[in-house]
Amino acid sequence: MSILKNLPQRKDEQYPSMIIAGAREHGEQPHELANKIFSEMRGDFRYKEFVLGCLNCGECTTGCPAARFYDFSPREMLQVAMSDDPDVLLDAMQEKIWACCQCYTCNMRCRFGNDIAGIISVMRELAVRNGLESAKEVLKPASRSLLKVMTHGTQVSPDMIQPDFFIDWDPKAVSKTGDLIALRKAIPIDVLQVTDSSWEVSMQTALELAQIYEESGVLDMLRSLDPDLVEMIVDIISDWKDEFEEMKEKFGI
Amino acid sequence: MICLASPRILVIGGGPAGLSASIDLFEAGADVVLVEKEDVLGGTPKKLHYSLIAPDLKPVEEVLDPLIRQVESSAVTKKLGTVVSAIENGNGHVNVTFTSNGGKEEAVFDAVILATGFTHWDPHKKYEYGYGVYPDVIDFKDFEKMLSDDNLARPSNGKMPARIGWLLCVGSRDRQVGKFYCCRVGCAVSIKQAMEVKKKHPEIDTYIYYMDIRTYGFWEDQLYWKAMEDLNVKFIRGRIGAISKGDEGSLVAMAEDTILQRPSEVPFDMLVLTTGMEASQGTVEMAKLLGLEMEEHGFVRPLEADSLPVHTTVENVFVAGTATGPKAIPDAITEGSAAAIKAFNYVRRSRGKKATGRSMKKDARAYAE
Repeated sequence: MSILKNLPQRKDEQYPSMIIAGAREHGEQPHELANKIFSEMRGDFRYKEFVLGCLNCGECTTGCPAARFYDFSPREMLQVAMSDDPDVLLDAMQEKIWACCQCYTCNMRCRFGNDIAGIISVMRELAVRNGLESAKEVLKPASRSLLKVMTHGTQVSPDMIQPDFFIDWDPKAVSKTGDLIALRKAIPIDVLQVTDSSWEVSMQTALELAQIYEESGVLDMLRSLDPDLVEMIVDIISDWKDEFEEMKEKFGI
Repeated sequence: MICLASPRILVIGGGPAGLSASIDLFEAGADVVLVEKEDVLGGTPKKLHYSLIAPDLKPVEEVLDPLIRQVESSAVTKKLGTVVSAIENGNGHVNVTFTSNGGKEEAVFDAVILATGFTHWDPHKKYEYGYGVYPDVIDFKDFEKMLSDDNLARPSNGKMPARIGWLLCVGSRDRQVGKFYCCRVGCAVSIKQAMEVKKKHPEIDTYIYYMDIRTYGFWEDQLYWKAMEDLNVKFIRGRIGAISKGDEGSLVAMAEDTILQRPSEVPFDMLVLTTGMEASQGTVEMAKLLGLEMEEHGFVRPLEADSLPVHTTVENVFVAGTATGPKAIPDAITEGSAAAIKAFNYVRRSRGKKATGRSMKKDARAYAE
């Protein structure tokens, strides 16, 4: 106790500003949020399975493509996951966890058998669930993709390859793609020969997916990040539901 | 004394442990048969032409040849180029069938000492280190032969290397390849190899990539400190995770320097993989023939790892050396002697009990008490 007494006390003002911004929006004090996220991560059934221990050999970081370009290290992320300090966890969730490209090379390398990419994705999930500012920032450019996936059941459509949407892509990405319609015709599966959608998903499948999003809490999770997007999704889905009901009546299904 | 004939004891394996057991049994007056599948005695250290033996940096010949000569000059029955092909163990008698080029032969023994040793782990299984792809990535057992032959040259072009790196724990302490344990000697042997290189060629740069340096006991100052202080061997705390081709045929080792927390890329002329130990095929086969229990790492389970290390789960079978797990040569020699006296006393005691009509059905735990 006597040693601890002499240590400088950490004040709330010393927290990185982003944590405070993310926390105040939810009316929570930073350490409360940190504690909440920390206990959520430790309570997650995947934690025990993914985080085993660490010999600090650095092979994960050596193989990590993100570590070559960013101040990011899978070894550090695993140490964060193993740390008993909730503030350390919340701090890493402000920026670092989003540098991971989820290629799972670290898992392939890890001689201890940790699921490092897995625990990073758990951290990301917690960042989304808790509406962290960093998660909003990261998901902002992906909102159109999310809208497409969640309403049409398909992902990126060819005409989305626009410099405006993907500024960090290869500057020649657009010219390389050339005549999209011609290129699409070369794909040997049924892609409808259009460029504004990937392939057609039946309305029933799309509605079933929507039900899954709703019941599994994905929509609620998204609502904390982008309420407008969720509203759009819900509108489109309810239109489709009506349309589907009409169709059922019309054809007597 | 009740026993009239000498105890008949079979020693399987002619490495350091088997040699030491044979010598002690013979000196105690036992009737010893030493069976070795190779045509020479000395076991893996001799077969693979190890160079100097830590910590005194004595040539392997100086360490093992006196033992081999003692066995050769004694009346120990030596069966070289011979394997044990069948064993029937019951009623205190072990009926053994030997197979060699000369055909089959049978003999009866009172006890068996298993000293069948280990084998080096095959680094092909860790594909990211490029063993078998890059000729200059070599196994440390082959590097040992290179040093022993005084023929230090890059396998790719035969030239003298300017920078050599060692990567410790290849096939040890690795859950991915199912080898959870430490090989106990890899750190010491690798540092010893670097010292050997540095003593002969001070101009060669030597780097050792490690997770932990485990130079137990006196090896700490005799090897680890000495290598740093006197010979300028460099240590990087981090593992090589990828190897790629660099300029002029060099190999670029990529690693994270976990102390400086930054990526490290060093071009090497040669990279040496310090491979772990696993139970030899002979150990696995003999344990099966003798009905021994194996422990979770794939080695023979001693009856009690702490207090009865040379007893096995079968009362008239004893074990010595690396058949029960990774060990250094001096430890294997010590265990050979320990197994010898335990086996010898077991036979004497059991014969005494037989003569006085007492129960033979006591396990080795009781004999040891």
